[in-house]
Amino acid sequence: MDGLRRVAVIIGYEWRRALAKKKFLALAILVFALQIAVFLVFNYLFAHPPSALETLLEQARPLMWTVEVLAPQGFFTVLVAIMIAGGSMSEEYEHGTADVLLSKPITRIEYAAGKFLGGLSLFSFVAALTTVLGVILSVTFFSPQNDLQFVLHVYFAVVYSNLVFLSLAFMFSEVLRGTTLSYLSVIGVFIASTVISGILTVVHMITQDQLYLDVSKWFPDWCVSNFPNFVTRELNISVPLLGGTFVSVGEPETVLAGALIAVYTFVFVVIALVKIQISDVTKKTA
Amino acid sequence: MVSDLTKYYGNFRALDSVSFAVEKGWVYGYLGPNGAGKTTTIRTMLGLLKPDQGKVQIAGVNPAKDPVQALEGVGYAPELPTLQPFFTGRQMLDFMGKMFGLVKQARKEKIKQILDLVGLEEWGDQKIGKYSKGMVQRLSVALALISDPIVLIMDEPTIGMDPEATAHFRNLFTTLSKQGKTVFISSHLLDEVQRICTHVGMINKGKMVFTGPITQVLEAFTQQWVIEAELEKVTEPIISALKKLTCVHDVKAEGNKLKIELKEKKDLRGEISSEIFKHKGVLLGLNLHRITLEDAYLRALKGGQ
Repeated sequence: MDGLRRVAVIIGYEWRRALAKKKFLALAILVFALQIAVFLVFNYLFAHPPSALETLLEQARPLMWTVEVLAPQGFFTVLVAIMIAGGSMSEEYEHGTADVLLSKPITRIEYAAGKFLGGLSLFSFVAALTTVLGVILSVTFFSPQNDLQFVLHVYFAVVYSNLVFLSLAFMFSEVLRGTTLSYLSVIGVFIASTVISGILTVVHMITQDQLYLDVSKWFPDWCVSNFPNFVTRELNISVPLLGGTFVSVGEPETVLAGALIAVYTFVFVVIALVKIQISDVTKKTA
Repeated sequence: MVSDLTKYYGNFRALDSVSFAVEKGWVYGYLGPNGAGKTTTIRTMLGLLKPDQGKVQIAGVNPAKDPVQALEGVGYAPELPTLQPFFTGRQMLDFMGKMFGLVKQARKEKIKQILDLVGLEEWGDQKIGKYSKGMVQRLSVALALISDPIVLIMDEPTIGMDPEATAHFRNLFTTLSKQGKTVFISSHLLDEVQRICTHVGMINKGKMVFTGPITQVLEAFTQQWVIEAELEKVTEPIISALKKLTCVHDVKAEGNKLKIELKEKKDLRGEISSEIFKHKGVLLGLNLHRITLEDAYLRALKGGQ
């Protein structure tokens, strides 16, 4: 019980630390702004529908909440996850505050667990806000909305899929112990993964060679981008061409995407935990 | 207890078989020049660094293996700490109280008491980012005291403090030791250590050069008494003549002053003054004194134990 209490104390601390960062708040506001921008665009389109899109828009209207909720997914939510976890460990080393925290009666695993769960819970909170905002906007302006009983499914799919880059950023933060380097590394992986898997998907679409698509699935971006879309397709609540499903090619592979997310997350978290357990607490550098 | 502690940074041996023991109620001063290994010793004692050899035990528990039990009764104030600037002093103390499992009411009372004790009662609700260096140092000591620890480990605790605060904290450490707490202070302020410490350890280039009661260190390095002579003018013949005396260990000249270290604990001012007069020196003053901790320290660093 004492161990859980200590983890809970670090979770609370992690919230305070993240919320004190202006760049995090700025990014969160940007995500909300994006959702409002998406709403404004669709609000205009519904008011002045182009003849080519009229039918499609009418089909999409009852499920506009999925469009709103998934709008930041795959890019902005990943950035939020990276922003939360990328400096989580490294900033404490750089500022010397790790000394203050780890010289207290707490094990390193409890400390790291508190840090990771603090970041995850904060991300979940931001995702909950974007979900609520998306649903409110949709219900208010595009009523009636169908299948709202699946809001939680979509929300958990978004949170779960973003575990990959949250844990990757957390791992880099602990392993590299430099915040800038950590951010650059994880963003580099994200961009490289997105570009390469995107190219492979396009090549597959041109050549119809399955190998390209199979290889693209092993890049972390694939499962992160596709998992929530697969879930919406499984639930029959996806919006063709508008809900992001255009990035998914072929049949939904929800289990594979879910399993890959679990494996990536597990590996990244374990590497971070092993690193903190076996290494010295480095002295402040900033 | 620190036993045979060795720590490498790459190929650099920062600690070389360091051993010492600190008993309950002692105020232990840990001395050494910059880069000697003081902070490395402390950080290893707290389990922040993993030793390559040797072990640390705090109240019989190794903090590297069981930090929860070992550090439960330890308060630590790091050297020039960086504290979380987004907290107020009160929030920071509250957070640390939670880390030690203090209940809300106990934290509230303890925080008020400690803020008073360190002189930050009016600053408790200000963000730490607005604190001066000295105030951060005070808060750092307050954080070390929040759990009512039995062992206090302080790394240069009075750095950045004004003289009044320095004196206040010296008294505080002495009072705490009288209450049965063990106080471990790393410092380069020899005067401070001489005033408040009961025991002292000296480290140089990662090696312990002395550990023991402060009375013993002074005695150990006071084999020779020192005579300080102030002359109108110091000349080479006077220095040479004094060095030739069988009772003189060494002579050092600083401006118009001579520092004459004697081989024995004898008042030899008569012989010294005679020799100076013989070489036409004009003596303005002649004092005999025992060496200070600073002298002992400097000798210890030179391997003169």
